[in-house]
Amino acid sequence: MHPRAGTSLGRAGASLSRRRFLALSAAGAATGAASLSGCAMRVSSGVSGDGETVTVMAKPDDISPELIRQAQKDIGVKIVTVRYDITKLIGMMTNGAPPDLVRGVGATDAPYFAARDVMEDLDPYFARSGVLTSSDLDPVNDLWRYDGRTQGKGPRYGMAKDFSQDSMFWYNTALFDTAGVDYPPETEPVTYEEWLESAERLTRRRNGQTIVFGGSYQGVLTPNLLASLTASAGGSLFSDDFSRIDFTTPEARKALAWYVEYGRSRVGPSIVQPDPNAWDGPTYQAHRMAMSNSGYWLGGLINTDKKLAPLSRLAPAPLFAGGRRVSPCQAGTGFWMPKRARNKDAAWRVFEWFFGEGPAKARASGGWGIPTLKSLRSLMPAQEDYQKRVLKVQNAELKHFSVIAFTPYASADSLYALFNQEAPAAMNGHLSVDTLAGRLNSVMNEQLKRGKEQVG
Amino acid sequence: MTATRVTPEPAPRVRIRVDRLVLYTVLVAVTGLFIGPFGWLVLSGLKTPAELAASPVHWLPAHVQWHNFADAFNLIDFLGYARNSLVIALIYATLVTLSSAWVGFGFARLEAPGKKTLFGVLIGSMMLPQMITLLPTYLIFAKLGMVDTYWPWVLWGLAAAPYLVFLFRQFFAGLPRELEEAAIVDGCGYGTIFWRIFLPQSWPVLSASFVIAFTWSWGDYIAPQLLLSTDRSTLAVAVMSTYVTSAGTPVANLQATASVMYVVPILLIFLIAQRGFVAGMSTSGLK
Repeated sequence: MHPRAGTSLGRAGASLSRRRFLALSAAGAATGAASLSGCAMRVSSGVSGDGETVTVMAKPDDISPELIRQAQKDIGVKIVTVRYDITKLIGMMTNGAPPDLVRGVGATDAPYFAARDVMEDLDPYFARSGVLTSSDLDPVNDLWRYDGRTQGKGPRYGMAKDFSQDSMFWYNTALFDTAGVDYPPETEPVTYEEWLESAERLTRRRNGQTIVFGGSYQGVLTPNLLASLTASAGGSLFSDDFSRIDFTTPEARKALAWYVEYGRSRVGPSIVQPDPNAWDGPTYQAHRMAMSNSGYWLGGLINTDKKLAPLSRLAPAPLFAGGRRVSPCQAGTGFWMPKRARNKDAAWRVFEWFFGEGPAKARASGGWGIPTLKSLRSLMPAQEDYQKRVLKVQNAELKHFSVIAFTPYASADSLYALFNQEAPAAMNGHLSVDTLAGRLNSVMNEQLKRGKEQVG
Repeated sequence: MTATRVTPEPAPRVRIRVDRLVLYTVLVAVTGLFIGPFGWLVLSGLKTPAELAASPVHWLPAHVQWHNFADAFNLIDFLGYARNSLVIALIYATLVTLSSAWVGFGFARLEAPGKKTLFGVLIGSMMLPQMITLLPTYLIFAKLGMVDTYWPWVLWGLAAAPYLVFLFRQFFAGLPRELEEAAIVDGCGYGTIFWRIFLPQSWPVLSASFVIAFTWSWGDYIAPQLLLSTDRSTLAVAVMSTYVTSAGTPVANLQATASVMYVVPILLIFLIAQRGFVAGMSTSGLK
């Protein structure tokens, strides 16, 4: 340090000493911070006033600002939302202060979090509820059950807000007419092989660009899709204890080979040919997609387009030649309550209200999914002829619903990332299906092994 | 004689014009390359959803959808989120500029054992990816009760930023030693030297530092997403995730429009502080 540093700072006459500067800086910062941090500002979606507060981790479309205000009016509970973020969720849980309700995808999140013992068993709550009774729950809610080994059995840990049978598909009859392809039947499923053949005939290209996708078949997340495809071929992607995955069984290999062929043929969006719109809706609406592997929920969009709706039909979930007819739900998005939630009773009141009262009725009549309470099915839109036609196909499909149990030892996102690392080479013709199956087994089983060690 | 006067003149002029032509062509091409994505964003924000999904691509909107600006503005509380972004960015940019200047001054003008090592550690911390510190950062602020407040930005601001410290250190190291010595002879301490002599001379760097810090904070998605609840969050988070229908489907054209509006304050600040920003970067030895 300079010899005089520190000696002259306090001299009289120096207009601003170091101490004074530091003191003023600190005081200024503290004053400013206190005045700001004490009341970090809310945007107008926030609610205020008396009443219990429930923190809900959700995505913007799960609970809108209008719904938050409605909750305060209907049940006197203030809902504070934090945006869904897995890192934040882990941070909040590690800190011992998780949200009171968390959004989740029943098909994959339920076994993952239940196996880690962070979810509240909701059976006692359902048992004493006058709004959500077990007999009224649609079987799709079994996605939120886990008995310590298998999904679909045991205590309930959450509930789906609405659902679709995600292996079904919509088709645009005008594009079928243009291509001279027969419509898929509405009562019996086509085979996956036939679906792909139709998709190839329906695809239109110009100057190397795909003008019309013959068909999109991507499922909700690829791992769920592959598990569903394997079930449709008559097998299971996971071992009995869900600790291993095997793509080399005849059924899983058939499913994998079909999906690789789907990507290779470029008939629809895939990891090697992404749709810039990121999802099927706008492309289907623009008459640029002849078939879209979306369940009933896409009707919510289709019904708003008076030209498209009469041209659109819903078809049953395909099956593999020689396979079995299954029509699972690959999402079942809803909410669960963390075991260490601080305000469980108020959270359950929000749960009941959201899944069984006003918001549930509004969702049911909106057409963006099948209600998860049987008593609300009568609210599904059926005013127009095309809506009645779609509803008939959907109602007939319900009896083919079954839970395709997912592994609790890895998140669907992590398996999806591993799939995306390996699959493009096969879809681009640089890797055989058998080699891909071997590689997927290797990397995914390593992931599952680590997960099993964590869960114990 | 006449010939000797005339012949050498035209060639250099032509060469200069050709050189300039090539230079300007390259500059226009590079500018186009950089402006291209923003231009596409603007065009996307003026289309209907159907036109955005059309193939072959519609380069220009058939009917310009000016109302997209009003729709994007009204679909969310745009002003509320913008206000939150502005407050956070101003807190952080002001504090971090002052604290970085203070620290940079120390590294440039004071001597202490281990100064070089400490400076190396400081600069080395720039190599640490933000993702690694994400969860520990959340836990620390949660334990301190600072989640869902603006305190984290105050603390980050007071803690100085390595890059800005480096910027100031380079600038202060270039100022003549005589300035400091004369001040000491006049009875000034280092606090006064910093505050009354060095800081007033560093407006270009202060300006550059403020613009950089403001841009960091304005554009930051991760920290507000992690630390703030939905209705206290910032415009970056809102624009990224709030433009969806009630069914959760994205509204891409309005998101593009909102993104254009989101960028405007940064453009304005840069245009206002442009001269200082460029001078600051060039006088700090970083070019």
